[in-house]
Amino acid sequence: MTPRRVVVTGLGLVTPLAVGTEATWTGLLAGRVATGPVRSFDATRYRVDRGAEIDGFRPEEHLRRLDPASVGRASQLAAVAARLALADAGLAADADPRAMPERCGVAMGTTSGEPAEIERFDDAWVAGAAAASDPRFVSRYPCHVIAQNVAREVGWRGPVAMLPNACAAGNYAVAYASELLRSGRADRMLAGGADIFSRITYSGFARLGAVAPDRCRPFDRERKGMIPGEGAAVLVLETLEEARARGASIYAEVAGYGLSCDAHHMTGAQPSGDGALRAMELALVGAGATAAEVSYVSAHGTGTPANDRVEAIALQRLFGENAAATPVSSIKSMIGHTMGAASAIEAAVCALAVRHGWIPPTANFEAADDDCGLDFVPNTARRHPVVLAMNNAYAFGGSNASVLFRAVPA
Amino acid sequence: MTHRVGITGVGVLSALGDEPAAVSRALCAGEHARCPLHPPAGADPAANGGFAGLAELGDAEIAPLRGFDAARYLGAETNLRPLDGAGRRLAAAAALALEASGWTAEACAAEAVGLVAGTMFAGMRTIAEFDRRALEAGPQYVMPLDFANTVFNAAAGQTAIRHRLTGPNATLGGGPVAALQALGYAADLVRAGQARAVLAGGVDELSAEALRAFSRAGLLSGAGEGPGVPVPFDGRRDGCALGEGAVLFMVESIADAERRGAPVLAEIVASASAWAPVGEPGRSGPAEAPDEVAAALARAIAQVLGRRDGAALALDAWSSSASGDVGRDRTEARGFTGALGEGARAVAVTAVKGALGEMLGAAGGLQALVLIEGMRSGRLPGIAGLATPDSDLGITLSAEGRAVDLRLGLATAVGFDGAVEALLLRRWEGEHFATR
Amino acid sequence: MESAEIRATIRRLITDITRVPAERIADETSFRAELNIDSLSLIEIGVAVDYEFRLDSPEEAFATVDTLAQTAELVEVQLAARRGAVAAR
Repeated sequence: MTPRRVVVTGLGLVTPLAVGTEATWTGLLAGRVATGPVRSFDATRYRVDRGAEIDGFRPEEHLRRLDPASVGRASQLAAVAARLALADAGLAADADPRAMPERCGVAMGTTSGEPAEIERFDDAWVAGAAAASDPRFVSRYPCHVIAQNVAREVGWRGPVAMLPNACAAGNYAVAYASELLRSGRADRMLAGGADIFSRITYSGFARLGAVAPDRCRPFDRERKGMIPGEGAAVLVLETLEEARARGASIYAEVAGYGLSCDAHHMTGAQPSGDGALRAMELALVGAGATAAEVSYVSAHGTGTPANDRVEAIALQRLFGENAAATPVSSIKSMIGHTMGAASAIEAAVCALAVRHGWIPPTANFEAADDDCGLDFVPNTARRHPVVLAMNNAYAFGGSNASVLFRAVPA
Repeated sequence: MTHRVGITGVGVLSALGDEPAAVSRALCAGEHARCPLHPPAGADPAANGGFAGLAELGDAEIAPLRGFDAARYLGAETNLRPLDGAGRRLAAAAALALEASGWTAEACAAEAVGLVAGTMFAGMRTIAEFDRRALEAGPQYVMPLDFANTVFNAAAGQTAIRHRLTGPNATLGGGPVAALQALGYAADLVRAGQARAVLAGGVDELSAEALRAFSRAGLLSGAGEGPGVPVPFDGRRDGCALGEGAVLFMVESIADAERRGAPVLAEIVASASAWAPVGEPGRSGPAEAPDEVAAALARAIAQVLGRRDGAALALDAWSSSASGDVGRDRTEARGFTGALGEGARAVAVTAVKGALGEMLGAAGGLQALVLIEGMRSGRLPGIAGLATPDSDLGITLSAEGRAVDLRLGLATAVGFDGAVEALLLRRWEGEHFATR
Repeated sequence: MESAEIRATIRRLITDITRVPAERIADETSFRAELNIDSLSLIEIGVAVDYEFRLDSPEEAFATVDTLAQTAELVEVQLAARRGAVAAR
């Protein structure tokens, strides 16, 4: 059968800038920086203390089926983002005669799953009380609970998948969901990612010396690292046919995607950018588009010296002489690195960029590396039509994923 | 023309060994690899794979990999320090699968081979040890190489590095359903042109953390009085025995396989995933409402069989994920009979977890392996240890292996918390030429 | 602890982490240039040495060491400082 076309019809965001898509988008366009001193645990034993945490999150205000107390925080973020996305897509009423629940599924990504669960497990272990640890650990900790809790919240019964692909997970989830829709095995999918602030993650990045001491400054000459964050994003994906039939408002089409792996090093990118380039090129092939047609790139842009250097190289190789003319920005400058949620949030931002014709800035930007001859949209959002947006993500373990979002003519 | 996809090789690490035909023969002979978690006095203390303490687990049985040495598969000179247990197992299975399917190092360098790995806990042991080191010694003493392995996709990343797998690299969380889901996804990726070849399967490592967690959740056999019965579909079953392992299948288009002269072990005909809520998350036992999950499985099976009326489509064998879990074994049987109706009794049934334990992320791979081996050998294993078959289930159960002309085999899985998966495999008889 | 013993301990840790045989790690052998030890493993070596000798040294301390001799010297200086600190109480 001819592959069906996949479009984005709803978005839900829970980020360090705001609980909600509208407020997050406004904050991003205003260049508001949401990173600051870590609040959720005592960071005095670390050499660094910057994080990006969510404020004012009250899951009980949004959840209808899940009892927040019975699930972990990452599941709460994911389920709330799912509710927001469904409402945005005009699917807030649970009784939707058009699509059977069995034909609607969920694909979510994450890096750490529900780390608070294992942290409590370890606390008990270290205290010599492992034999009395929480019996619910098995049903609360394994990362697949996040996707399942989203399905439980929205009442869907179709395919449920969990792709814990670390920092590229959101894009991998969007790609997975797209494939199910294309091949006709689902009519509607929620795709996204979620991660919470965790001491395990923080300890690790701090130990690697990867955390910035003050601000996250992607692509800046003086950049000193990333800032761990938390968040969730969910996109409603359905077929173009379905969306048009029910008169849905379409943000953009998922025009193509590319998946690859550096197969080089667990935490460092392959220096020539081959893997990143491969993912971008595959996405363009899938979309039947050329690099010259890309209006905007939402970069991975973590703010570490290494990632940004390699990413810039890959972008220059892809765009060639168009490099300086293609706007590239990293919203991690404002919301930090939200891990498994990052590329899902960035995917949503690409959809918003296509709809509104605005490009969010790279905040905290003063001067580029000599190597980076690219336009990073420094500090100020830019009004510009976005017809084709590219979302790039690169993960620990070397997984790379690029997803293209294209404007759909009315 | 529809892109037909098949399996051209398999690599397996299981408690019954690392050679697919030998594993299958052992299963058909009724052998099992379970042993006591706490070896009896006088027995070799290393017989249980080296677990100490865990006294509160009493009579639990496990099915560990004994004497697993990753260096045997990855090279004596390779520095294995960066890999943790899950990474070593998956990378070793990859080495075996690549060799079995004829994918040399040169071929992998020239073509972007993908990897889809299913798992339940991934590197949970690493994560826990990393976290406990921070708690006990301070966050400045966590080990950087361990941190790299605290992400769920670490084993897949490590495996890609070891074997230069530069194609799509995806990890699927989902425990017992994950390897079947991975096979389905790999087939999708090949059909979609995202990769020409993808290794697919899963891994889980047996750990003290997993044992404790399962024990606390009431999922392990042997927690009550007397010896446990971790036997699928047995009327006296009381839970599972945890196992471990890794399995990877090379998945590629059948046209490509034939072009390079590689034998096709089986065609991946179709896969389907579904989900339904279980009453109380994590509870097994005589739950009030596992029926929704059974109904979801029936739907998934109907989907892969391509029929709505549920009539049997000449299904020759069913490889179930039943593990001895009271509720989930029953749910899976109900799902099967729900889809096949009266035809269910005619289908030969097997369940590998009586012999190999609950292998979580690797389990689906072993389920598929016995079908594939059955297609070649004409034999299907029985259910090891089945003494008192549960007569309420509407399926035909046997402890003994038997001869089967296995053309069409179904593998299903019921996960924890409601996920279900169905995968249909067909013996490849070279029809490719016939359809041109 | 004797100087030779400190060196032997450090050498063992490096071998454990990198699998480079002890014989190849001479006093002046460059970790980066000659032994090709990657950045993650270098950090790990620093952490392992610090943990082994319970130095609790500042994080930057091991960032630039590149030979066994430099590592051993760093350890001896930190141990002496600790002894001095203890003696001064």
